Amino acid sequence: MTYQPTVINDDLRKLPQLPAWVTSGRSETLETVVFRSGAVLTVLDMLVSDPAHGVPTKLLSNRLALSAAVATSKLEGRMAQEADIRDAFHLAQSGEARGPDGDLLAFWREAARVRAVRPSDAALFELVGPNYADDVEDWISTGRNRTKTHGPLAGCALVMRSVLEADDRAERVACLMSDLVLAEALNWPRLLPVSAQFLSKCMLRDLVGGGPEAALVVQGRLLEAQQETTRLAREFARRAAALRAIAPKLRAKGSDAAVTLFLCEEAVAPSTMLSPMIQGTAIAMTDRAARRLCDRLVELGVVRELTGRATFRLYGIAP
Amino acid sequence: MTAVATLKSGKAKEGTAGEEVFDRELDDLPPDLRWREWMGRTEAVLFASATPVGRDDLARVVGQGASVELLIADIQSELTGRPYELVEAAGGWMFRTKTQFAAAIKAAANLGEQSLTFTEMEMGVLCAIAYHQPIDRAGLKDIFGKDVSRDLLARLRFKDLIASGPRAPRPGAPHTFVTTATFLMTFDLQTLRDLPDPGALNDEGSDKE
Repeated sequence: MTYQPTVINDDLRKLPQLPAWVTSGRSETLETVVFRSGAVLTVLDMLVSDPAHGVPTKLLSNRLALSAAVATSKLEGRMAQEADIRDAFHLAQSGEARGPDGDLLAFWREAARVRAVRPSDAALFELVGPNYADDVEDWISTGRNRTKTHGPLAGCALVMRSVLEADDRAERVACLMSDLVLAEALNWPRLLPVSAQFLSKCMLRDLVGGGPEAALVVQGRLLEAQQETTRLAREFARRAAALRAIAPKLRAKGSDAAVTLFLCEEAVAPSTMLSPMIQGTAIAMTDRAARRLCDRLVELGVVRELTGRATFRLYGIAP
Repeated sequence: MTAVATLKSGKAKEGTAGEEVFDRELDDLPPDLRWREWMGRTEAVLFASATPVGRDDLARVVGQGASVELLIADIQSELTGRPYELVEAAGGWMFRTKTQFAAAIKAAANLGEQSLTFTEMEMGVLCAIAYHQPIDRAGLKDIFGKDVSRDLLARLRFKDLIASGPRAPRPGAPHTFVTTATFLMTFDLQTLRDLPDPGALNDEGSDKE
């Protein structure tokens, strides 16, 4: 039996969007970078803060966590690819070691659950490790003060610089602190792992040693990351709407819970996350039912298979 | 403050119940003697442990406000000139003999049966796992051009240098192997980033040939 693929609504006019003058052309000077970032952050804040826009924020933060893991893996010299990291995380059984790649993704997924309000979360200290626990408050207040006077972009760049000055191999902590400063500036309840995406090792090296030009380069990359996040949020809003629209058509038992899972997780492994029980619920689903549901969602055009393998498949609504 | 107070009162109750309570705070001692006692405790804990002891565990034997790092630093400064040292390894601290005495220790008779001697193949497999983790037996076969015996992997696992990682997405879902915290400690690495750069290794290798 074949199904009519769902038409994904292309009408994005209802969602807040970036004006063309933000996305066109490169930002060359500090003024343009900062000004454009202001515009981008306003739109991003509208998208993620207002549930009326239907952006699946959990899905967004999990997807951003994966991007951040890929980026920090590169910064740390391991060069793991997205597929490797996703496999390492999702194919590890509970209680067994995930290995460095899986641990890195776990770090960022944990980070996306950190509360960004004061006083700092105990989970935050767990993430940064005991070596830096004493410095965290200093770093955050440095970034916070800079944000008050020069805006969030400058605050992010400065907090990264302070972390890297303390330890030049703490790239992931630096990116985490930057995300935290950003989340606090925008009054978000939880942070989004935005900052790491487009940074490179040599930019961070220059940031510590270099002058304002190096900081400008980093701020330019942070702006790009914010733009990308905004684009992703709009894309996810659209795909989530398509998935929600077809949800009533699914008559499989537990399909609602499965749809909810797809709206939270960027990759779903049918054999472990949907069966024997749908993750986070007590609804049982057999292996076969889980596979059939995923196949049907693919046929309906709302979900994609992510790995290209015939076995150990992972499905997600990722664009 | 209230948390501390409740903790203390809780302890007092335990004390009256007849159990001997471990006195962390040592409030009856003058500050410098107290500090010495805390240093002694930290050192004793580290000395008695064969594996690195984490910050949280050490903090449990000293007073609430005492900085473990400062205590460690004071102990370290007393150890200058000794043949052993107090080092940070795998997220904690441990005592270790200095590397310059390695030859002397090896020359001593009864160390032949120590568990951490490796054959060349074991070392090779361990390196391959360290750099390519998570990797399964099929992946190791690709690297070495022959099957890596299960016995060898079991030996490495017995020494707690490798552990099972995520399943490999291949028929049969074989386990992959990853290195452990013991691996980092054994080879004196803080993180996997301290592994020598594979590019640099190749250069050295070609020099030898």
